[in-house]
Amino acid sequence: MRRRVVITGMGVITPLGHTPADLYASQIEGRTAVGPFTRFDARTMPTTFASEVRDFELGTYLKHDLERYSHCGVNTQFAIGATKEALADAGLLDERIGDRTRMGVYLGSGEGAEDFPALMNSVGVATDPATMTADPKKFCAAIIDVLDRLREPEVEMHTTIGHLGTLFNLDGPNIACQTACAASSQAIGEAMELIRDGDADVMAAGGAHSMLHPLGIAGFNRLTALSQRNDSPRTASRPFDLTRDGFVIGEGAGIVIIEELEHAKKRGAHIYGELTGYGSTADAYRMTDPHPQGKGAIRAMADALKDARLRTEDIGYINAHGTSTHANDSAETAAIKAVFGAQAYNIPVSSSKSMLGHLIAAAGVAELVICVLAMRKGVLPPTINYQTPDPECDLDYIPNVAREKRVDHVLSNSFGFGGQNISLILSRYRD
Amino acid sequence: MRSRAVIAGYGFLTPIGSTPEAVWESLRTGATGIRRIQAFDASPLPCHIGGEIPDFVAKNLIEKSYRKSLNAMARPVQIGVVASQFAMQNMGLAKGAIPPERFGIEFASVMGATELNDLARMSKVCTTGAEHPVDMEKYGRDAVPEMPPMWMLKYLPNMPACHVTILYDIQGPSNTLIPNDAAGVEAIGEALRILRRGAADFMLVGGSEAKINPLSLSRFNSFFPLTHKNDAPATAVRPFDRDASGTCLGEGAAAFGLETLDHARKRGAKLVGEVVGYASGMDRGHTGAGLARIIRNALADAGITPADVDHVNAHGMGVPRFDAFEAKGIAEVFGTSAPVFAPLSRFGNMGGASGIVELLCSVLALQHGELPGTLNHDHAYAGCPIAVHTGAPRPITKPYAVKTSYTDLGQCAVAVIKKWDE
Repeated sequence: MRRRVVITGMGVITPLGHTPADLYASQIEGRTAVGPFTRFDARTMPTTFASEVRDFELGTYLKHDLERYSHCGVNTQFAIGATKEALADAGLLDERIGDRTRMGVYLGSGEGAEDFPALMNSVGVATDPATMTADPKKFCAAIIDVLDRLREPEVEMHTTIGHLGTLFNLDGPNIACQTACAASSQAIGEAMELIRDGDADVMAAGGAHSMLHPLGIAGFNRLTALSQRNDSPRTASRPFDLTRDGFVIGEGAGIVIIEELEHAKKRGAHIYGELTGYGSTADAYRMTDPHPQGKGAIRAMADALKDARLRTEDIGYINAHGTSTHANDSAETAAIKAVFGAQAYNIPVSSSKSMLGHLIAAAGVAELVICVLAMRKGVLPPTINYQTPDPECDLDYIPNVAREKRVDHVLSNSFGFGGQNISLILSRYRD
Repeated sequence: MRSRAVIAGYGFLTPIGSTPEAVWESLRTGATGIRRIQAFDASPLPCHIGGEIPDFVAKNLIEKSYRKSLNAMARPVQIGVVASQFAMQNMGLAKGAIPPERFGIEFASVMGATELNDLARMSKVCTTGAEHPVDMEKYGRDAVPEMPPMWMLKYLPNMPACHVTILYDIQGPSNTLIPNDAAGVEAIGEALRILRRGAADFMLVGGSEAKINPLSLSRFNSFFPLTHKNDAPATAVRPFDRDASGTCLGEGAAAFGLETLDHARKRGAKLVGEVVGYASGMDRGHTGAGLARIIRNALADAGITPADVDHVNAHGMGVPRFDAFEAKGIAEVFGTSAPVFAPLSRFGNMGGASGIVELLCSVLALQHGELPGTLNHDHAYAGCPIAVHTGAPRPITKPYAVKTSYTDLGQCAVAVIKKWDE
């Protein structure tokens, strides 16, 4: 019989709170985190707002090593906070507990932000105004003098997980993936497989990301992926609404401690729920757009159901990827209908991103944490800013107001640029 | 019984060759790909040597139907896609030959560095020299519209895998792993697990990295232990050697087909090797004990003992403290006479691609029945108590090889491969 995997701890650093309870409460109350950029002066950018983590202090989570880790990008700092909270919640923070070689880390993880002034100034110095091309030699000579040798290593994508392993004495598999907006859900799915396969007993799984820097925002703006509703930031993220015009970028980190069931039982751990299904597919269609009928998404959901040995009627709630882009929301709706048939209209579907914004590589894990609490409390979070129905999006999106409903199995979708599709299924734990 | 995972063929784009034959010939004869950097004048940087893929012209090599997408593909993406094409051609597999839903991909690749010219116009309108802050008002208003529309997509880590899924209609599991030098072997391990659990029948496994560009090279010069022996590129990188002075960067890409033995038999595939074991984990502080534990776990996964192993294919960066760590871990499992081969001194450090390219060197060695020597290991170093194979190729005597990989933060991944044999 295959090993069962349960959730025994959770931690988040998000724009809607620095604990799972605060994040969930905000979602149930329909509060949005979206507001004007404060991280840098973005007043003349095409998009002038975002969903930012506020009031985060690394010192809340670290004492002795604060100086060392203050050079890290905010992505890593958020991850440190979320992991410490999750391990404490699971009762695993003390390194003397358990076999640490059997405990690992798997994140969907982003890059640390480039040194923007050093990069732009050095390119500027090296660029010939007549040809508008940059001379590499002049660039190298300029930038090598100004790069901060303590900060530069932290741009590298393996540093976040490496620091978590080191700080929290987790010597098992230490892996990260970057499959765009699907990354943290994929990390949780693959971490579950590592536990099922016996490579580890406990994994700190999830993600961390912040693209709230000038080049990140400009890049998304140029792809026309972001909402530009600058006159009304708080209503800009409106998944499934006819007037949606793009996603609202967010940032943050989330960690779930997932654990082999017998391991959790033996140490008397509190069990939040069971991870029962994982599906991972590729669209093989286009770089950014999802397949319009959700070809890959359909199989991700179907594979997750099969993996969980569940039927479509067992699913009580779907936490959608629901980005508020035209392409995602219509394709995802089509895919849900293809998988669930007529039943699709009876299953509540909502998008956490309507309030939280899009945490990119950390989106899936934050949404899974919301699902865990929704299942336990019996109250499903709404999709806010839903005003104008779209004929292509005709499911029950829990418009604007949270809803009481007992659910035993939840499906959570995460899709990403590059045609990445991930579905996870969370189930009420039964012995 | 769990599925066996066999290697059906490979493709290379490396500083020492871009066909399996050329790579093998260079390995046998001891040719190096490390030179003074040719792509641009890197002389202001303390290390300006590296391993470059010579004569790579993407538009001549990329699948014709895909040429129009080249302007949205940075060099690491281009070489990853072309190496994947080479692998598919090497296996005689066209689009559709593998049922799409049972065909997956695992890639090792990291965020690409921006090309300077993508930011040239932008920087001119919002900067006034190194002493002054960037004018954010001008940046938002005047610079952002000058950013190439596809800028972000050119550099994303999952773009090699994305393009390859489109080119070959790959619709199964798709993942891109990013832990630098450990990512390649981790990708192999994840593909192995996917095949064993039956989530796919065929996995394309690849890695690509291209850090010989002004931004990456400058950044790595600021914090990574690179050699300053620019006057003697061919002998600068010295794995496990008394005179090791640091490593250098290399660019490269490789991909191979990994499939279940049942699937390979059904389609009558010609096979070149087998992946039989894998393990990964952390060695905090590079003690060697962690690496030893992970090597033992990989051997246990393969169901073999150290005595079954012909050689250990090490990362061998040529950085004294990292070499000492790796040697200690290897010696703890295999003893001080452990036969070690380290290919990196021919390529430079290829980061995400290194695990794949380096492992394939041992696949070639097992296939050809001889193990090439390690370049630039001339003097034993007391800190590295292992037996590094140098000089002329020697016969392969046992069917297994072990590939070790690690990062500067202590992530380790180890794979065990076997010479192909029914």
